[in-house]
Amino acid sequence: MAKKILIVEDDEFLRSLNAKRLETEGFEVIVAVDGQEAIAKLAEIKPDLIFLDLLLPNVDGFEVLTKIKQDESTKAIPVIVFSNLGQPEDIEKAKKLGANDFMVKANFTLDDVIQKIKQVLG
Amino acid sequence: MASGQLNSIFDLFIFLFSSTFWLLVVFVFIIAAVFGYWYRGRSSRTQILIKEANLKTKQIAELEKINRELEDKNRELYAKEVELLMANRRLQSLESAKSKFISVTTHQLRTPLAAIKWTFDMGIKGQLGKIDEEALEFMKKGYQSTERVISIVNDLLRVDTIDSEKAEFYFQPTNIVTLIESVIGEFSNQTKSRQVEIVFKKPEKEVPFPEIDEGKIRMVLENLIDNAVKYNINGGKVLVELSDSRLNSAESSLQISVIDSGIGIPSGEEGKLFQKFFRASNAIKQEPDGSGLGLYITREIIEKHRGAIWFEKSQGSGTSFTFTLPLHHKKV
Repeated sequence: MAKKILIVEDDEFLRSLNAKRLETEGFEVIVAVDGQEAIAKLAEIKPDLIFLDLLLPNVDGFEVLTKIKQDESTKAIPVIVFSNLGQPEDIEKAKKLGANDFMVKANFTLDDVIQKIKQVLG
Repeated sequence: MASGQLNSIFDLFIFLFSSTFWLLVVFVFIIAAVFGYWYRGRSSRTQILIKEANLKTKQIAELEKINRELEDKNRELYAKEVELLMANRRLQSLESAKSKFISVTTHQLRTPLAAIKWTFDMGIKGQLGKIDEEALEFMKKGYQSTERVISIVNDLLRVDTIDSEKAEFYFQPTNIVTLIESVIGEFSNQTKSRQVEIVFKKPEKEVPFPEIDEGKIRMVLENLIDNAVKYNINGGKVLVELSDSRLNSAESSLQISVIDSGIGIPSGEEGKLFQKFFRASNAIKQEPDGSGLGLYITREIIEKHRGAIWFEKSQGSGTSFTFTLPLHHKKV
């Protein structure tokens, strides 16, 4: 069965590029455009991995991350923070909240993303 | 006439020769002398007192004047202090505004840049459908340009982090040989396209692990080697040399040189090389894009390690950059 990946990303173009790339790789992609939608979707679907942006409208990524790691049913899902923030204090904060990894979008290609997913999913 | 009365000249005469009379005379003289002396002393003391009083009055007047002047100066100083305080506050808020501006703009820039980069990358890799040779070449150029902008944005962010002292350093014993080899490995594509050869020379003996921030020193090596490759001639050489000759000096440290056979530094521009945003005129000619921040960041990082960095003309027209890394990190 195809692995499910949740992409939380408010930029429409980045979201569609990422989704397209993951789908060609054979993953099942679920998308959320903001923190609220992400939390709502997580109540129904349990993905194998979450790509989480930090600067999001309404509920931001740090808050979503906190909720994911507090909830018993989602706690174990690996979270890769995928943001264009990336100052040392942001990385530090995300790791403290339980993020598995931190990637600055502009510094990676989608091929790097695929590699990272394969590495995290084992 | 009763006896004992001085009523005759004879009696007076007798009295004049009596001791009582002379005693009286002496007594009167003594009294006069004592009084005279006392009076003289008294008048001279009075004069001295008057003089002193005059002097004191003058001094008091002077002191009052000085006091007034001091008060004025004090007020001026206070005003200056307030001014300085305000200026400092303005500067701080300006600094934080600048910091915020940079972090917001860079973030806002990075999002569309990531989108452009991913699109080019997917296009080049054929993930968006088949494209012909010519289009592929253009897309590759597009990708490279995007990468350049991204690296400038990253440099701006780094400078801001370092300037605002936000950058944190984690010093740990690090295998410097492996680090250098890994950084050199990153340049394999670039050296191929530029036909530049990178050679690594290290001591035969095993080198101790210096206490450094690995990520930051990686940045330094990438910067220096990138410059050495970028500003080289086709078919040129880059020598990275690790030396332990300073291990027995007062402060044992390692020394790393990056020596190139490149275009060199124009005379007259040497002093500005480590300045923020400065780019040598011949470097701009060879490589129009660049932030002029690499060497500035490099020096900041080396100084945080309490090392030193300098450069010299190497053989021919090239340049050699050398920096030292103390083996042990002492907290300042």
